[in-house]
Amino acid sequence: MTFALSKFRSFLPAATFAMAAEFLMGLSDSVICGHILGETGLSAVNLMQGVFEIVTFVGMMVTVGTSVLFATELGALHVRRAQGYFTLGTVSAVAFGLLTAAVLAVVRTPVIVAFGASPSVSEMAASYWLWFLPAATLQPIAFFLGTMCYTDGDARLSFCSYLAQLLGNCLLSVPLTLAYGAAGCAVGTGLGSLAAIVVLLFHFRSKGCMLGWSRHFIFSDILKISSKSFGDASKNIGKAALMFALNAYVIAKFGSEMLPVLAVVVMTIGISEMFDGVANAAQPLASVYMGEKNPLLTRRVMHAALVTALVEGGGIMLLLLAFPGLMLSLVGIDSPVTVSEARLAVRVVSVALPSLALMLLFNSYYVFIGREKLSSVLTLLAVFGLPITLYPVFGSFCGAHGVWAALALAPALALGLVALYVLACGGRSRFPFLLSKDREAALRVFDLELDPAAICGASAAVGAHLRTHGVEGRRASKAALLVEETLMVVHDHNSGKRIKAEVTVDLNDGLMLVLRDDGVIFNITDVDARVSSLRSYLVSNLMTAIPVRRNLTTTGFNRNVFKL
Amino acid sequence: MEIKTTTDGTRLTIAVSGRVDTVTAPELAAALNFGDATCVVIDLADVPYMSSAGLRLLLSSHKTMIGKGGELQIANAQEAVREVLDITGFSDILNLV
Repeated sequence: MTFALSKFRSFLPAATFAMAAEFLMGLSDSVICGHILGETGLSAVNLMQGVFEIVTFVGMMVTVGTSVLFATELGALHVRRAQGYFTLGTVSAVAFGLLTAAVLAVVRTPVIVAFGASPSVSEMAASYWLWFLPAATLQPIAFFLGTMCYTDGDARLSFCSYLAQLLGNCLLSVPLTLAYGAAGCAVGTGLGSLAAIVVLLFHFRSKGCMLGWSRHFIFSDILKISSKSFGDASKNIGKAALMFALNAYVIAKFGSEMLPVLAVVVMTIGISEMFDGVANAAQPLASVYMGEKNPLLTRRVMHAALVTALVEGGGIMLLLLAFPGLMLSLVGIDSPVTVSEARLAVRVVSVALPSLALMLLFNSYYVFIGREKLSSVLTLLAVFGLPITLYPVFGSFCGAHGVWAALALAPALALGLVALYVLACGGRSRFPFLLSKDREAALRVFDLELDPAAICGASAAVGAHLRTHGVEGRRASKAALLVEETLMVVHDHNSGKRIKAEVTVDLNDGLMLVLRDDGVIFNITDVDARVSSLRSYLVSNLMTAIPVRRNLTTTGFNRNVFKL
Repeated sequence: MEIKTTTDGTRLTIAVSGRVDTVTAPELAAALNFGDATCVVIDLADVPYMSSAGLRLLLSSHKTMIGKGGELQIANAQEAVREVLDITGFSDILNLV
């Protein structure tokens, strides 16, 4: 297994669990209200889905762009600039969180009236909405800090914050709902977000923390963050619009009795949020590779991500096709008519999960590579444009079943349309990642698991590769020496462990060597490091002889860059 | 790696060819048996590459020969190997010819 694949897989559980925790957080209020307040409670929370999506949209609008730009700037070794983006992101998360709560307070009553739901559902939704306003402020901040902490390499603390949010929410929401109804549930959600923020603040005390605030307020950078974010965040604003429209449509066409079934459908589609973990696991690596202008490794990571997304989406689809009752038992639906309709609905919409997994991956990926508009088009087609066009048509012919079928079909259709566009624009050679092949001829990657024989083999291969590409013998030997000596030092620092490493030789702009390893974090480029052997003495002297060298450990692995 | 040894009285010449790295250095170490020689020449004309593992052998050989009142010469070092000796300051310690 290569270094890139190994790191991607090591990031995947934490990223997936984080997204699963986020999905469960979104689900928790439906589950709690469904079980404690019955189908009315479930319907009331489902009316809030649009509001949840708006709050997530706000959080993502500041988070996605900041995280991509932060990682890319670190990839390009611009630490101060990266911290400038973090500062802007922090200010924006707080400001937009407050603004969202203010806007939601103003529109609460007219929107609930517009839904036209039964009085009991409307009353409960209004109460929940009012007490959800503090959570609407805190959630974008918690999401921003959690993602930045993850991007900065602290996947464990990021996961702990999700856990704190989920557990805080559940443990507090249950007694609060029992005591105060839907309002108590909303208060518990806000307190869960507060718990997550408190946990995340510990990251700033950690040794390897690269997050920091600096005086940086350039208006164009806010626009840059927003434009980078919109592609990914657009799915939430699209979903918000769809949720408002779909709730109103279902109530008008099938009555408030169909709302519990719609709630289960929304929950089933919501499972796809977990698949965003695949893109999140790929992002720290892909962003760094993009920062290094290395399409070879970017493609390698994204290919692994694509396969993973398909496996995850396909696996959960099969599970729900076989056991649709799993979703129903979560929210405590037990009336026979609702159960029968909801089981069928779960089976129908679960078919959308593989295409939703791919859609979410490409949604994030096209943002990585600067194709934000393409990302937005894909997402808005999948979660808004096609569903809102198809469900009235299918609904008028096949009733509620047609609505569920339209929701299942839309993501696959959107992917197909975008795939055709990408093929037409980039041709087969650049499909589907749209990466230029221009730089690839001058790029070579050597993968190895560190042991003396493999290290010497890689060193010899690097030397031979450079000589065949016209690099003079002296420089080629120096590069080979650098590979052997630095990797042997890494090997010695990690005795008894299996360490994966990756050596990139880039001849596009002079001769650049990038050495990555997943061993213990230490700075090999430090010329003042303790010399304890002839090898470390040679490495120390080599570092002095190479003027352009950098060490970066931000994403949980050592990265040493040398220009020879 | 290939190692050829020729003796001319008390002068021992060891001609090395190939890379001298962490993996091949033990093979060279086994061949550095100086016997009664008072002058040892290590010919590096066909060594395009040498890492710290090779340097360690040169240094220990130098110490051995000094200890027995003899001499170690490093002959025909290629530019890349000479640079490594320069970077480490070994070119000032060893007798390069």
